[in-house]
Amino acid sequence: MILHILNRAPGTSLVYREALAGMGPEDRLLLIEDGVNGALPSQVRHFEPVSNRLFALREDLASRGLVGRCDETVQVVDIDGFVELTEEADKTVSWF
Amino acid sequence: MATTEIHRYLSVGERRIALDPEGYLVTLDDWTPEVASALAQEEGRTLTEEHWEVIAVLRDFYARFEHVPAMRPLVKAVGLTLGPEKGCSLHLMKLFPDSPAKVAARLAGLPKPTHCL
Amino acid sequence: MEPQAASRDDLLVILRHSPHGTSWLRDGLDAALVAAAFGQTVSLLFQGDGVLALLRGQGSGALGQKGTAATLEMLSLYDIDALFVDAEALARLGFAANELMLPTDSVDAARTAALLASHRQVLVF
Repeated sequence: MILHILNRAPGTSLVYREALAGMGPEDRLLLIEDGVNGALPSQVRHFEPVSNRLFALREDLASRGLVGRCDETVQVVDIDGFVELTEEADKTVSWF
Repeated sequence: MATTEIHRYLSVGERRIALDPEGYLVTLDDWTPEVASALAQEEGRTLTEEHWEVIAVLRDFYARFEHVPAMRPLVKAVGLTLGPEKGCSLHLMKLFPDSPAKVAARLAGLPKPTHCL
Repeated sequence: MEPQAASRDDLLVILRHSPHGTSWLRDGLDAALVAAAFGQTVSLLFQGDGVLALLRGQGSGALGQKGTAATLEMLSLYDIDALFVDAEALARLGFAANELMLPTDSVDAARTAALLASHRQVLVF
């Protein structure tokens, strides 16, 4: 299992398309920095293929006032959760 | 990388050739076979036909790819041009001891290879 | 560890930026060359606008900056022969695989994911 990390918003960068293409059936996607915009109910459709494997970083949501505004399918994790996800993965791949 | 810092000058006939702190040419256009011989002489080497053919391979490589090769691609390029017997690290180690990619690049008037040990 | 682990390729470098506009493409190629010079098995995947790096007929920039085409021609001397290209991006940009300067293997999303899984390390540029 690969942990993919995305730090760009789907509204400003198309890199999410390449990240999704690179994801295997077990892989997980963590949204960080501007990537967390993708966790909004209005944006989350872009990540529909991996909807049960989509995570967003709480600290980055908090700094943007987006905690509690995420789509309910998104699993919110804090930095410790980020570390756990990393430990569970064979490797990580960053998309930016 | 080629540096622009002039550390010292090498006298070649009437000319004074600027060298960087590691002994590479500051101005790559300064290179002539006489400069190569003078650089080699400083190291106590006399260039033979076998040295010159490797120097030619290196200069062609740089002209074509704008890149100074590390050891592996240098070995491969020498093999492709001069034949498999010469395309081995032993041959290059014999001609340019210690670090063939660096030593040969210096004599060929190229910048120091960047992807090298 | 699974038995095939030993035969895994070392490094996959993903190139997703076109030539000249930024240094991402050059930086990615540099990373690939360094890894290859140190004996790693390196594969390249040209994804998104990165496929434009493979077009024929490129030159240097308007200010004389070095292009990346010469570096691509040199890859085989670094034993970097596993070149993959994002088939969807190529089609989206209106090009065919036979228009490219080097022989490449076109991959769809499923093979892209398999490539990421089969390399020990993946770097995105």
